[in-house]
Amino acid sequence: MISEGELPDRLKAQFEYVICGPDINYHTTSSYSAGTFTPSGVDYTWNFDAFKQIFKIDITHRDDDTIEFDMSGINVAVVNAFRRILISEVPTMAIEHVFFVNNTSIIADEVFAHRLGLVPLKVDPRLFQLKAEDDAPNETNTIVFKLSAKCTAEKSVGVSGDKVVSGDLQWLVGGSEMPDETACRFSVGQQELLEGQRIDVVHKDILLAKMRPGQEILLEAHAIKGVGREHAKWSPVATAWYRLHPEVILLKEVEGALAGKLVQELPGLIVSEEHMGKQVAKVTSAREHEGLLEKVRRLSGEDEWKDKLQLRKRKDRFIFTIESVGIYKAEELFMEAIDILVQKCDNLLASL
Amino acid sequence: MFMDDAIDEDTAGEEQEITQEDAWTVISAFFDSKGLVRQQLDSFKEFLENSLQEVVTENADIVVKPESQHNPGDENVFDEKEYRIQFGQIYSAKPSFNEADGESTVLFPREARLRNLTYCAPIYVDIRKVEVTMLPDDTQVEENEEVAEKVYIGEVPIMLKSTCCSLDGYKPAELAELGECPYDQGGYFVINGSEKVLIAQERMANNHVYVFKKSQPSKYSCIAECRSVAEKSTRSTSTMSVQLLSRQGKKAALSGAPIKATLPYVSTDVPILVVFRALGFVADKDILEHIIFDFEDTELMEALRPSIEEAEPIKDQQVALDFIGKRGAAVGVTREKRITYARELLEKHMLPHIGTDSLEKDATKKGYFFGYMIYKLLLVALARRPEDDRDHYSNKRLDLAGPLLANLFRLQFRRLTKDMRRKVQRCVDQGREINLADIANHHIISSGLKYSLATGNWGQQGTQNIRSGVSQVLQRLTYAATLSHLRRVNSPIGREGKLAKPRQLHNSQWGMLCPAETPEGQACGLVKNLALMTYISVGSPLSSVLEVLEGWGTENLEEVNSAHLKGATKVLVNGVWIGINREPQNLVETLRQMRRGLNVEAEVSVVHDIQLQEIRVYTDAGRTCRPLFVVENQRLNIKKSHVIELLKAKDLVDVEPEQRYGWNQIVNSGFIEYIDTEEEETTMIAMTIRDLKVARLIKAPQMAYSDTYTHCEIHPSMILGVCASIIPFPDHNQSPRNTYQSAMGKQAMGMYATNFQTRMDTQGYVLYYPQKPLVATKAMQYLHFREMPAGHNAIVAIACYSGYNQEDSIMMNQSSIDRGFFRSIFFRSYKDEEKKQGSLLNEEIEKPDPSCTAGMRHLTYDKLEDDGLVAPGTNVHGKDVIVGKTTRLPLDEVNNSRFTKKDCSTSLRQSESGVVDQVLVSTNAEGRKFVKLRVRSIRIPQVGDKFASRHGQKGTIGITYTEEDMPWSQEGITPDLIINPHAIPSRMTIGHLVECLMSKVAACVGQEGDATPFTDVTVENISNKLHQCGYQSRGWEVMYNGHTGRRLQAQIFLGPTYYQRLKHMVDDKIHSRGRGPVQILTRQPVEGRAREGGLRFGEMERDCIISHGSAAFLKERLFDQSDAYRVHVCEKSGLIAVANLRKNHFYSQIYGNDSNVVQVFLPYACKLLFQELMSMCIVPRLQF
Repeated sequence: MISEGELPDRLKAQFEYVICGPDINYHTTSSYSAGTFTPSGVDYTWNFDAFKQIFKIDITHRDDDTIEFDMSGINVAVVNAFRRILISEVPTMAIEHVFFVNNTSIIADEVFAHRLGLVPLKVDPRLFQLKAEDDAPNETNTIVFKLSAKCTAEKSVGVSGDKVVSGDLQWLVGGSEMPDETACRFSVGQQELLEGQRIDVVHKDILLAKMRPGQEILLEAHAIKGVGREHAKWSPVATAWYRLHPEVILLKEVEGALAGKLVQELPGLIVSEEHMGKQVAKVTSAREHEGLLEKVRRLSGEDEWKDKLQLRKRKDRFIFTIESVGIYKAEELFMEAIDILVQKCDNLLASL
Repeated sequence: MFMDDAIDEDTAGEEQEITQEDAWTVISAFFDSKGLVRQQLDSFKEFLENSLQEVVTENADIVVKPESQHNPGDENVFDEKEYRIQFGQIYSAKPSFNEADGESTVLFPREARLRNLTYCAPIYVDIRKVEVTMLPDDTQVEENEEVAEKVYIGEVPIMLKSTCCSLDGYKPAELAELGECPYDQGGYFVINGSEKVLIAQERMANNHVYVFKKSQPSKYSCIAECRSVAEKSTRSTSTMSVQLLSRQGKKAALSGAPIKATLPYVSTDVPILVVFRALGFVADKDILEHIIFDFEDTELMEALRPSIEEAEPIKDQQVALDFIGKRGAAVGVTREKRITYARELLEKHMLPHIGTDSLEKDATKKGYFFGYMIYKLLLVALARRPEDDRDHYSNKRLDLAGPLLANLFRLQFRRLTKDMRRKVQRCVDQGREINLADIANHHIISSGLKYSLATGNWGQQGTQNIRSGVSQVLQRLTYAATLSHLRRVNSPIGREGKLAKPRQLHNSQWGMLCPAETPEGQACGLVKNLALMTYISVGSPLSSVLEVLEGWGTENLEEVNSAHLKGATKVLVNGVWIGINREPQNLVETLRQMRRGLNVEAEVSVVHDIQLQEIRVYTDAGRTCRPLFVVENQRLNIKKSHVIELLKAKDLVDVEPEQRYGWNQIVNSGFIEYIDTEEEETTMIAMTIRDLKVARLIKAPQMAYSDTYTHCEIHPSMILGVCASIIPFPDHNQSPRNTYQSAMGKQAMGMYATNFQTRMDTQGYVLYYPQKPLVATKAMQYLHFREMPAGHNAIVAIACYSGYNQEDSIMMNQSSIDRGFFRSIFFRSYKDEEKKQGSLLNEEIEKPDPSCTAGMRHLTYDKLEDDGLVAPGTNVHGKDVIVGKTTRLPLDEVNNSRFTKKDCSTSLRQSESGVVDQVLVSTNAEGRKFVKLRVRSIRIPQVGDKFASRHGQKGTIGITYTEEDMPWSQEGITPDLIINPHAIPSRMTIGHLVECLMSKVAACVGQEGDATPFTDVTVENISNKLHQCGYQSRGWEVMYNGHTGRRLQAQIFLGPTYYQRLKHMVDDKIHSRGRGPVQILTRQPVEGRAREGGLRFGEMERDCIISHGSAAFLKERLFDQSDAYRVHVCEKSGLIAVANLRKNHFYSQIYGNDSNVVQVFLPYACKLLFQELMSMCIVPRLQF
């Protein structure tokens, strides 16, 4: 995306920015082919070296569950592919089959099974294989949990066990305790496979059911590997999304009393500076004052500021956020997504 | 959330006035003490406590005389003897049930519902018997008195939560313990296990004088009629009318048109003067004084001239009576008989509400009332007054459960007494002892009441004028549907009538009936629903009112000289002209003051009609009333201190609710009074409390709309009914949309009762995770919508997106569905019982044994356990038997086969499947084994399922997109639902948009939004709040396309909106068939999904194919795919011939072998028609 010639300013702005009008976004699409502007000496042909130069990732926030980074110099289609892969194609393990031995609580089996499915499991899915429809469940494709909960009431202690939480799910290393019913048979325990890691739920305090004294739930839950496209429970992210990088610009110099007024309207975002003996308004970082951007948009539609203020967003600069469910670290997730995309490309190339 | 109060006032030194916000404290007090089905409960209470006894008392004694036996030996030495049976005190007990084994237990509604019993209580009555001997000197001697106390005469169904109900007095927690929903308000009956509501029936009020103008084709130009019924009488209405003949009649010679009267049982009209003379008023002047009180009024006098002239020949009472008698039923009898007949007619059947005693006693009053009718007629004829409005709601009365049951009980009790008389007569004739204890056949009343309540056919079985649909099965789809059903009103006018008037919303219905909630189509405007605060009068005794009237200078009509009536104000009580008063203002004020205190019932209405110079007082049952703040001197009587006291009382948990300061105290202190529709016409009602403030502003009186307010609305939003109160911002919607939502709210899923787990409803829908709405109206707290919600707060985007939401379809987020969005459970219950009837019918619930059971179907019997039932937790499908049952075959049939039993099992409905949820095994009322089985299935939203917002915006899912395909906002939010923008402009459901906007604010702020109609909330201030939260003020959001990842050009209106899932789901409707079952008679495919029927290729489809010219296709549809049949026909006679294809024998029944037999293909229905015609001796011949 770098070239010798320069486009006229107006076209360049259209090409590079989404202009945020007061009630419509302009130039949201950029349906130009790489060669559209070759006559003017501008070549937008994609080239790897150039890409390497301008592509940049800037991590702005990171913890275990979330990561936010700026990604620039990349086409929207690729970024969107990452997003879609993150949501629907990175595999995880989730409970799929529930075998009820006893359930005297008021919650219906189907409802309870549905809830169990949504409990995130702290396990590295890469260690397991996808189980096809007619595969027999075994130690390489299935994780077995047992849930045994009973609510009792004693005079001295009061009611105990009235809340069934996700932490009550016990991992059965050796596999199903009732292989005849579940057809799940492990040849070896899963300790070796997992190299000593323990399998557990991500959050131990998810309330699954409430019971009254005398009620009981006994079940076995089998988790298998799957992807979010099939069911949201396999999605490794709460959500993953990006947005365009905002910019606020002053189309004209704003000075004097008007500058003061603008500063007052948009405190922090606009500051006034002394310049050649006059107070001149200057834009600081739009990124840091996102709460004010809707106001900027509104003001940019008002007569007073129409020709002076503009909110626009760079089309090739993305603020990408990943909120992990807790199975993967957020940063790992992105790497996974890249791997999957690479794999897809390989598949495509192989079949061409 | 939003409040402002603009007008300030100097309130120093005075008690603080209340604000509009405080009105809600008062409203809360109302619902705390009344609940939402008070009309039903009050009405039933009145029935149990008073009507029941009245019916028994009003029934005359049973008097039986021994039939004179002719014993040739002794002659006429009888002393006249008779047996009298009298009824005394009536008693009712708590509901109970007698098990088949004789054990009697207290019955609770839950048990009645589950075991298909009837929730009813026994009633007893004291019966007294005496033998009376008539001595020749006309004295009576009573002897052998015998009193049987508390004789059981039958059972009366008991309304739930009424004073007599087993649940009365239980606290919410105890109710839950009993398996009842603590929010259930009762007001219905349980008959054979099904819940029945008595729908309030609307009728015209009796004893009113209505004056109507008649248009041309009619003989009369004007008619005044009065449907008269004596209070608490069993007789049907006797209608009487006076009418003014049209002017252009034949006798134009007279100066004008005469007035005629129509009397009951008299075939022709009678001149009014004749009626007067028959009543005993002879002199013209005397008569005129009863009609016109001011003889100076020449116009009126002139109008009466033709009538006077017409009656010239009839000069005295006897002649007049004879005149009437001749035109009555008594024809061809002597003059004396005719006169007594006419006399009786005037006594008993003319205006019975005035009196039915002797003519001497009632003539004055009847004369005055008759004159009053003529007077009113003339006023309208002379255009001094407009005609009466038939649809004005003050002319209507509502018959609730109480009066309805009382009528029914009266019928049944009369049947009982008839039956008793027969028994007594037999005893007397046969000289047996009369056994009072078992003289009453308790089945008469019990089954009579049960029949009507179970079927809804009101009235005597098999007789004319039975009303159907009076009792209906209580709707249990949503809690709101239940409540609304309990508050429904029906007008029994023919649905097909084209007249629009009775269907239209009438001004006088303001505040009494919901303006939005009515069905569409045939019953539109005829079925109505009560507004939230409506009170229906139950009827109160006259005595207290009469006392006040007398005490405050009302002169009795009989004691007034008719010459002195001029200028006096007439006093009418329940339509009866009682007397006159000369200080009407004073009297009205006193009456009202006493009503506000405790001296006169609060439900009594006092109307002062100044124009007509009348005071009308009403105490009868069935008037619609509503509470209003009382205003004196443009100030509310209620002050801030009382509101504070109310708030304090609410916290006093340990004090009994009745003792706390509450609604009753407020009413009794005269802060609030009930105003009925008629009295409402004489009041000035301020819409808001602020209007009063403005009225008080002395500085700017021109600002005020009025300064003569007498009352103030408690809150204008109380005009709405149950279903319309759920709509947020209904005041921003086009009105039909509110009507649509009112109908749809009843189809929404949610939680219909908190005890749904222990109920065995035939159908039930429950949402997995119902949510309370982010934006709610204040009235919803009384409807327990937060406790039992019916919907989800969906994040809704209004966008076109891929276009899969055209024409009212919606796009739904599949990932949300995966996470539990709008998932629901569907329950269906099946019932079966062992029937036993002598040796013929002997059923047994068991697992049928194929080796000895005949008629077993091609179904799966494997899932049955040894007891013949499917165990809970079993998956069942359409072809599974769930209750195995066999009937023993009669012995003669058994002899020659291996079968001893016949199968009569119950299978699951075809096309349904699920898991057996609960099995109930019990015994029914006869003590036979009784089984109920509940099947549960889950319903996950899928393409084709129906959803709706709360603004009449319904749609079906057009596509489901997973999260990554959905558009997302700056914050990464994906919508749960995308509706099409084209759904908005033509429907003008602005409330939908405002709700979304406010929900967004509510979600940001973390507070529930207030969407009560008629408040000061504006879109502008919601927008500002939203803008303060950092959003675009109108709720627009920048969004990105999920497929391409690009930013969308348009900004999208995005926010949470409360959506409902409606019960119409594809899984319950999906249907197709290639071939399948046919009807036995016609061999055409059967109809309906449940029977796996065909899809009809109807006339219009046929027309299409005809016009298209595809004859072969048409034949294929209508013939080959339907009832193709082959017959053999004799060519000569054209009649169906005998054909044996196997032996290749063909012959005509007419010509034998002399004719050719041809093969003909024709529809089986056609062949059937031929044969049916033949059976009627018509020969259809096929000609070749």
